[in-house]
Amino acid sequence: MSTIKFTIDGKEIIAENGITILEAATKNGIEIPTLCYHESVALYGACGICTVEAEGIPKLLRACSAKVSDGMVIHTNSERVKKSRKIALELLMSDHTGDCVGPCSLNCPAGTDCQGYVKLISEGKFHEAVALIKEKLPLPASIGRVCPHPCETACRRQMVEESISIAYLKAFAADEDMKENAFVPEVAEDTGKKVAIIGGGPAGLTAAYFLRTKGHSVTVFDAMPEMGGMLRYGIPEYRLPKKVVAAEVNQIASLGVEMKNKVKIGKDITLEDLRNNYDAVLVAIGAWNSMGTRCVGESLDGIVGGIDFLREVNMGAKPDIGKKVAVVGGGNTAMDACRTARRLGAEEVYVIYRRTRDEMPAEKIEIDEAEEEGVKFKFLTNPAEYVGENGKVKQIKLQIMELGEPDSSGRRSPVPVEGKFEYLDVDTVITAIGQKVNVKGFEELELNSRGIISADEKTFRTSVEGVFAVGDATNKGASIAIEAIGEAEKASKVIDGYLLGMEIPYRKPFVSEKIVTPEMLADKEKIARAKMPVRKAEERVKTFDEISLGFTKEQAMKEASRCLRCGCHDYHDCKLIKYANWYDIKPERFAGMKNIFPKERKLVSIERDQSKCILCGLCVRVCDEVAKKGILGLIGRGFTTTIKPEFKNDDVISFCKDCHKCVDACPTGALKIIEE
Amino acid sequence: MRIVVGQGSCGIAAGAEKVYSAIEKHLDDKSCLSITGCIGMCFLEPIVDIYDDENKLLRLVRVKEDDAEKIAEATKNGDLSLLENLKISPEDEEFLTKQTRIALRHCGLINPENIEDYISDDGYQALRKVLETMSPEDVIEEIKVSGLAGRGGAGFPTWFKWNAARKAEGDEKHLICNADEGDPGAFMDRAVIESDPHNLIEGMLIGAYAIGAKEAVVYVRAEYPLAIVRLERAIKQAQAKGLIGENILGTDFSCSFRIKAGAGAFVCGEETALIESLEGSRGMPRLKPPFPAEAGYWHKPSNINNVETFANVSWIILNGGEAFSAMGTEDSKGTKVFALTGKIRRGGLVEIPMGKTLRDVIFDIGGGIRNDATFKAVQMGGPSGGCIPENLLDTVIDYKKLGATGAIMGSGGMVVMDENTCMVNMAKFFLDFTAKESCGKCVHCRIGTKRMLEILARIVEGNGKDGDIELLEELCYGIKDGALCGLGQTAPNPVLTTIKYFRDEYVAHINDKKCPAKECTNLLIYSINPEKCVGCSLCSKKCPADAISGEIKKTFSINTEKCIKCGQCKAVCRFGAVEVN
Amino acid sequence: MSCCNCQNSDLSLLDKVLKNYKNTKGSLITVLQKAQEIYGYLPTDVIYRIAEEMSLTPAKVMGVATFYTQFRFKPVGKYLIMLCQGTACHVNGSERIEKAIKEELGISDGETTDDGLFTLKNVACLGCCSLSPVMMINEETYGSLTPEKVKTILKNLKEGEK
Repeated sequence: MSTIKFTIDGKEIIAENGITILEAATKNGIEIPTLCYHESVALYGACGICTVEAEGIPKLLRACSAKVSDGMVIHTNSERVKKSRKIALELLMSDHTGDCVGPCSLNCPAGTDCQGYVKLISEGKFHEAVALIKEKLPLPASIGRVCPHPCETACRRQMVEESISIAYLKAFAADEDMKENAFVPEVAEDTGKKVAIIGGGPAGLTAAYFLRTKGHSVTVFDAMPEMGGMLRYGIPEYRLPKKVVAAEVNQIASLGVEMKNKVKIGKDITLEDLRNNYDAVLVAIGAWNSMGTRCVGESLDGIVGGIDFLREVNMGAKPDIGKKVAVVGGGNTAMDACRTARRLGAEEVYVIYRRTRDEMPAEKIEIDEAEEEGVKFKFLTNPAEYVGENGKVKQIKLQIMELGEPDSSGRRSPVPVEGKFEYLDVDTVITAIGQKVNVKGFEELELNSRGIISADEKTFRTSVEGVFAVGDATNKGASIAIEAIGEAEKASKVIDGYLLGMEIPYRKPFVSEKIVTPEMLADKEKIARAKMPVRKAEERVKTFDEISLGFTKEQAMKEASRCLRCGCHDYHDCKLIKYANWYDIKPERFAGMKNIFPKERKLVSIERDQSKCILCGLCVRVCDEVAKKGILGLIGRGFTTTIKPEFKNDDVISFCKDCHKCVDACPTGALKIIEE
Repeated sequence: MRIVVGQGSCGIAAGAEKVYSAIEKHLDDKSCLSITGCIGMCFLEPIVDIYDDENKLLRLVRVKEDDAEKIAEATKNGDLSLLENLKISPEDEEFLTKQTRIALRHCGLINPENIEDYISDDGYQALRKVLETMSPEDVIEEIKVSGLAGRGGAGFPTWFKWNAARKAEGDEKHLICNADEGDPGAFMDRAVIESDPHNLIEGMLIGAYAIGAKEAVVYVRAEYPLAIVRLERAIKQAQAKGLIGENILGTDFSCSFRIKAGAGAFVCGEETALIESLEGSRGMPRLKPPFPAEAGYWHKPSNINNVETFANVSWIILNGGEAFSAMGTEDSKGTKVFALTGKIRRGGLVEIPMGKTLRDVIFDIGGGIRNDATFKAVQMGGPSGGCIPENLLDTVIDYKKLGATGAIMGSGGMVVMDENTCMVNMAKFFLDFTAKESCGKCVHCRIGTKRMLEILARIVEGNGKDGDIELLEELCYGIKDGALCGLGQTAPNPVLTTIKYFRDEYVAHINDKKCPAKECTNLLIYSINPEKCVGCSLCSKKCPADAISGEIKKTFSINTEKCIKCGQCKAVCRFGAVEVN
Repeated sequence: MSCCNCQNSDLSLLDKVLKNYKNTKGSLITVLQKAQEIYGYLPTDVIYRIAEEMSLTPAKVMGVATFYTQFRFKPVGKYLIMLCQGTACHVNGSERIEKAIKEELGISDGETTDDGLFTLKNVACLGCCSLSPVMMINEETYGSLTPEKVKTILKNLKEGEK
């Protein structure tokens, strides 16, 4: 056969005459996206994704069918081609109904694959579960214990009864993993690049883990005597034992991360020193100062900031707080403080909160457990003045509040009831109303109007070249640990790119999401959520021992098996979502009617979710041309075309049972093999 | 004396069969009564032609059953002056005299159900000439000289397709006639089959000879039952005369002939979809290449032409390709048939040489707009075409010039619109059509046309959003680039041309929530002009929504909240007091 | 298929059609057309019979049958009203005609009246554009329609049934 010469994307190629553009490109390592093409069946031409441009030909060509001719100059990635593919994908996605990933993962700031590891846990594969978790989160034992679990908040199982106990399951898997043969990630070959991470909290440790596994040499600097940051110094022992944090810190250190404690920036070493000696610096210093209540008398003795108080206790001190303690605030720090106060021997512990229980930002379980431990709540009160005696606080004057109109967050805002006050005698006041960033030593970095370090949300760059920043110390300020971990994980990718001389800003991946209503889950059997066994309240207040007793294996596996598996089984292999992310699609522009069908099991061992079908016709064609069965057919026409199996008789059913060629050919997750 | 009643579908729909039976009833000698097909003056149907013994024609128009007795009487007496009031007017006669008829040359003149009528007017002489004196290559050459191009819409040179099929390797070749005339507003193919089926058969036989096919198939759309019946009859008659079958006219050339009825799918007008349908499959277009000339029907070399294309062939053979190419423009040769409809005064079939202007057709032949309204646009090319505005009326009819407007020549549908036609709604109408007719195979057409329709629907409903025009345009170009077949690739044309020429109407719908043509009900506000209202209460009685109130002999008013905009009040008011804004 | 009386068709009526066409390649559409002429629509058991006899899978036959608008899967009324949706009819007010039919018979596109008399079907251009708006009832064409005219035609047909 004669040969021809042509170019694809500037690359000169010689090939035999009669070859298609797609074949020529594939042979030469140029990937042209296709959805309806399959080498084992006849050409079809439906998807229109494989279009390319050839110079001198006004129309776009479908690479799957167009043959290359001598001298052809082909562009597979021109603006026109990209635009055409983008529109095709947007149109496809506008009629594609399914969840790429479950709402749990979507709502996890670190994007952990909750559904994935919950499934592995349900199968008793705990090491595998931890390996999967650690693709995003290297501190599962710690975080699983303390995370306010946005995953569970989003969990769709709540439409049936209650969410899956995702956070505890994560901690359980991590504990199991650590018992023996703990998972150890692969560490890439040394790159010779050096990264300094300032702050050994959840963000810093996370970044250290990922940058180290990419082969960079990492040093973590921390001002405190031990690593762990707020996990170690902000959260009480009864919630998160120090040994758990230490174990996970050790795991990270054992990868070859250098840990330097008691190093304070600006005092022991300067940021500039680090910049000069390292290829990149990541600032992850957290927010370690307490916010004041701005009341008269705040400087009196006996008034202490929440995180300062917790830090002191976590460092082993037993401060004298007297018998009567008031904790101001309604968040998790306030809960930690009041429960710690009880454990230190305070007899009367009050929580002063200006709204009501319903508006408290703290976890419900924390509030309940605090109450069980004898903490009293004074809702709709707010400190107006601290009254002292001999320089020490003695009494709080409390302004009585009431709820007014909802504010921008939707919470009803508290309004003082004029002239109504109440007095509370106290020995100690703990103010837990917020945290501030202490930027001492980081003066070179640009701050935002609230005095917090400014960092780009996509590149994590600060105003200083080579210095990145993440976590509580940046932008919006203090938040939950998993948020900081998510940023650190993303930043580690950006820094990795930076070290290799590239700028790869974080881009939120496009995913398909579907709207689910409780009615759609009406047929699900109700199975109660596993309750974490805890120590009795009267015992709890006497010690700092961890109050959760942990799941048994059976409990954990059963709990994990409650998962509805909302996310698509095919997410990681799905060509549609892969290409959707290549072209940065915005299908909501074309939002309109969708073809939605219930899932269907006519194909015996295959579940068909026609709502995800993109009508590439591959299942029909493969069943017809390869399997020679012709069970599936295109039905109807136009926008409402669908695919249906038609069985002539029972013989065909057994005939269909195990070839599964249609499933293999499906480019999306519309077909799924049912494992029985 | 002969009495001929026009019986095309249009004529029959207008009552021609009833007229025929009524005349028959009153005639003693029924042999002088016969039928003919469609003369193309649909606006005058039913038409009865009376030929006196010198074969002089008296044409009666808009004949009613009641006129039958008088017609029978007059012909019996030989006193045609009785029929003066039914006679066609001289202006209406111009509708025909200003035309140049080739494809339609026998239509409405011969009896389509009688092969002898056709034969007596040089019928099958071209076939005889071809078989006896010309080689297939000679035929193709003659067609090349004529400059004949595909009349189905694309305008591809006919000789080129024939030549490709002729040269393609393979013993078995197929000749197919595309009579799946699906463009809403086009009916010239139907008229040819109903009125002159033998002309189609002859053209196809010549084509089959030229490419080397032994079988000819006509794919007729299901909505044309009369055409199918007449064509079936014609095939039988031709078979009986040895014009179809083995050794035609005593030569080596053999060709069978059959009809395949479509089953209702516009997309089957696309040639590869038509082939799929012929093979008994879903009419979904195939990827090209391979083209039908290489691998078509049953993957054998095939040639597909439209009815009108074949209808020109015998004339070209008899009169020579040069006579044909002498008509028309540099780019487009010969004549073209148009189906002139819509808000036109004189609607029907018009065949004119290429090179005339749109104005010639619409105003000179068609007599302009009905009811003295103002011309707004002419839609050409159906769902694949576009709307051409007033200022382009002098555009010359030729493939290139029409294409330059954004519309296309198409199969020849010309739907004329006046000031009361909303162009956005018009675009929506076509998208509704294409979305319904999309085969669903390719993404761009299946989902793209649906999305365009949704956007257009929200605009005419008054829910259009800022940016919708741009979004439509983006979709249009995306679909043009990405759709698999001609239906999809051209589906955006009605939208693109209306945006191009009537953008202000889109803007009025979106920004001002107004429909300038006052057609989009959701955007109308009905009110009663108190100065004109006499308080007769008729409107309030007619109102189905109980939205009109007032006292007798005082003025009435409409509660816009309740008004469902049905327009009944406006229709019944005798004082023009109901106003729409 | 979830239709009602479709499992008890007299399949012997198909024999002749199948005999004539089953060995002709590509004649599925013709067979379906003939079957619809016999039964008035395409019952599921008829579709399966055709598939079996023509050595096609039911999926293929269903695919073809559902592709073309001519084929019906439910019985139609005695009077099949085919309302033209062509351009000329649209321009000349076919929407008002559809509304009038709905008002008179209470049926929309694709529906049949409860008494089984009328079925309304919107169809592609009937090609009688000069008489637009147009409808066909069974074999008869009615042109230059107005809402009033349509209502009278339908009333007369109803009257004739009494």
